[in-house]
Amino acid sequence: MTNTSATGILHVDMDAFFAHVELLAHPQFRGLPAVVSPRSTRGIVLSATYEARALGVRSAMSTAQALRLVPNLVVMPPHRELYTKYSAEMMRIFRDFTPIVEQISIDEAFLDVRGAQRLLGSPERIASEIRRRMFDETGLTCSVGVASTKFVAKLASDASKPNGLLVVEPDRVLEFLHPLPIRALWGVGPQTAKILERRGLHTVGDIANSPEKSLIAALGESVGRHLYELSWGRDSRSVVAERREKSIGREITFDRDIVSRDELCRTLLAQSERVGGQMRAAGVEARTIALKITFADRMSFSRSRTLDFPSASSRDMYQTATELLDVFLTEEHIELDRRPVRLIGVRGESLVPAGAGDTPLWGDLNDTWREIEKAQDAAATKYGRGAVRPASLLTRDGEKPIDESAHGAARPE
Amino acid sequence: MKIQVDRDVLAEAVSFAVRLLPAKSTLPILGGVLIETGQDGISISSFDYEVSTTTTLAATVEEPGKVVVIGRLLADIASRLPNAPVVITERDNRVSITCGSSEFTLLSMSIDEYPTIPTVTGKSGVVKAADFADAVSQVAMAASRDDVMPVITGILFEVSDKHINLVATDRFRVAIREIEWDSDSISEMTSLVPARTVSELSKTFANAGTITISFSDVSDREIIAFSADNKTVTSHLLKGTFPPVKKLFPDAVPHHAVVNTAELIEATRRVKLVVDREGFMKCTFSQNVLTLESVSGEQAQAHEEVDAIVSLDEAVLSLKTDFLLDGLAAVHSEFTRISFIAGETATKPGPILLTSQTSKESASSEAFRYLLQPKLLLR
Repeated sequence: MTNTSATGILHVDMDAFFAHVELLAHPQFRGLPAVVSPRSTRGIVLSATYEARALGVRSAMSTAQALRLVPNLVVMPPHRELYTKYSAEMMRIFRDFTPIVEQISIDEAFLDVRGAQRLLGSPERIASEIRRRMFDETGLTCSVGVASTKFVAKLASDASKPNGLLVVEPDRVLEFLHPLPIRALWGVGPQTAKILERRGLHTVGDIANSPEKSLIAALGESVGRHLYELSWGRDSRSVVAERREKSIGREITFDRDIVSRDELCRTLLAQSERVGGQMRAAGVEARTIALKITFADRMSFSRSRTLDFPSASSRDMYQTATELLDVFLTEEHIELDRRPVRLIGVRGESLVPAGAGDTPLWGDLNDTWREIEKAQDAAATKYGRGAVRPASLLTRDGEKPIDESAHGAARPE
Repeated sequence: MKIQVDRDVLAEAVSFAVRLLPAKSTLPILGGVLIETGQDGISISSFDYEVSTTTTLAATVEEPGKVVVIGRLLADIASRLPNAPVVITERDNRVSITCGSSEFTLLSMSIDEYPTIPTVTGKSGVVKAADFADAVSQVAMAASRDDVMPVITGILFEVSDKHINLVATDRFRVAIREIEWDSDSISEMTSLVPARTVSELSKTFANAGTITISFSDVSDREIIAFSADNKTVTSHLLKGTFPPVKKLFPDAVPHHAVVNTAELIEATRRVKLVVDREGFMKCTFSQNVLTLESVSGEQAQAHEEVDAIVSLDEAVLSLKTDFLLDGLAAVHSEFTRISFIAGETATKPGPILLTSQTSKESASSEAFRYLLQPKLLLR
């Protein structure tokens, strides 16, 4: 065995994924500050090139704000199908090295290569090979962190970005970890950071050197203990192949604020159609339906309801979402013309494999709807999404049909 | 208006009036209760266009009149008043409530906006209140709480001159209970009443002697009324066709098992501790024993055996623990007969039927029937 055998967990993160995919199609923008953002006045930056980042542009920043920072910014519209395609390509390459691949988002994954060393060499060598093949086969660059735990591997890939590779040997973990700011630790959000900073703790090392008891006193049993363990480089989570989706949803930020309940409902219908289709394609059903709504004043609310039985039906989702909306508006005494809506979204949560729930005694109306949705799904596979859709989502004159993103920007997941 | 009323009588009447109101109403006026003077006292009513309640109570009326005040607030106040006569007075849109040394002043709500409490004058019959409460408790839990199919959130009343059948289902099980009643004017009719309302009122009325149930004969406004002692509850009826669940019950079932109800409840509750979130357990009926096993508990497994008389070689079913427990709790008898109904297709097992049985041998009574759909067991 080589001396790197104690590592073996890889975190691979694509560099500026959406932006770099777009640059493959638009090589003329290479080297320029560029972002991916929907063509809309209210869009947000989904991804930014390193040239744009150097000028202060960040993802999730509003496009308008980014353009104020960088007036000559190149704005490229997103192409989700492409990202999905490249993401699948990426996973295929990973699986050539190890079957233990845990995809944690569209553009990053953990790999456990401990079992692959005899055949393929040290983890460092495997990481280099992955980076080479990724560039040769997709034209995209990625950064890889190699360590003996997941969270150190992730921090290592962050530290090596862009287009880098960093191996953190077990005996160098603390040296690497302790100078990092506390926010680098998983589980430290703005709230936790505030609490810790108030106690004079700014680096991971500060956490490691404070008594575990005082952390628990400040943050509670589980978070306190968890952060203390992480600060000493201890993370027992293993790489789990095939992460199961916990929820599937869609949300959009409207181009203009919405004051009409009907329009919100139409958007929910389009979203339910999409999300239901995705759930059915994935063979899952949701136990809970959640509604998210953000008003023009940026106040955001979520409401959810657990169904009597899990469902992947777009109709169940739509009905539940509109009921949640109506109950919410009534209970909070909200009048839409006084409080316009900026964003709305619906989500299927607590997903279970389809058919895991209760079996009904008899077929009924819902079964008829399921048949309709099955036919709709089949038509979508053959003729494209939206081939068959509810009549209220059709427009006159054969114009562009109303989509949930037709008048706003769909947010990244 | 000025009245004097006993504190306990008032508290009870107001708490009943608000109990059937929804927690929050779209129209604030519907959160009010109406206090109205009558010939021998007062009546206290609530109405949210779906359910109304009216309680008449003895009171000294010094000045006749009527007022509407916020129901929940009045209920909270009434329940905490000291034990002394309560005087309620209305002056200039303010309602004052005095009791001993306590005094409250409430704004009165607009009497003009308050809807008229419906009255029912159609055909009626009489049922024993205790029987009714019993029967409702046996079927109400099977009613759906999912608004996706509103028609099954109700309890179906199938009424004839001598019997009422109460039927409820959530598509996964069906509960039916037959009770006797006495009506000389009704031949055959059905009404679908929201289960929550029936459940609430049956509990309140359980200690009354009898309940009179009346059905409106005006076709445009379909309501049902329940009256007992000094109280009347009306409810709107649910529209739509109740699923034809009776056809799911076969005339004869060739095979069955008999188990001690309490033993099976205890064993199921223990297995339930370790079943997964879906709550299913595997039930194997074989010679003289029913074996219960958790199927997919990741942390722990359970195995239970219960004595049973089984009329076939083996039957293996996957049952939802909660649904089985609901049925077992409702059979109200020492023994439970579990009958195995043949499935229609290979992919869907046949339902099981729970009925009560007074001893291991004696034939089961059919007054209560609980049909439950097992899940296909993936082995």
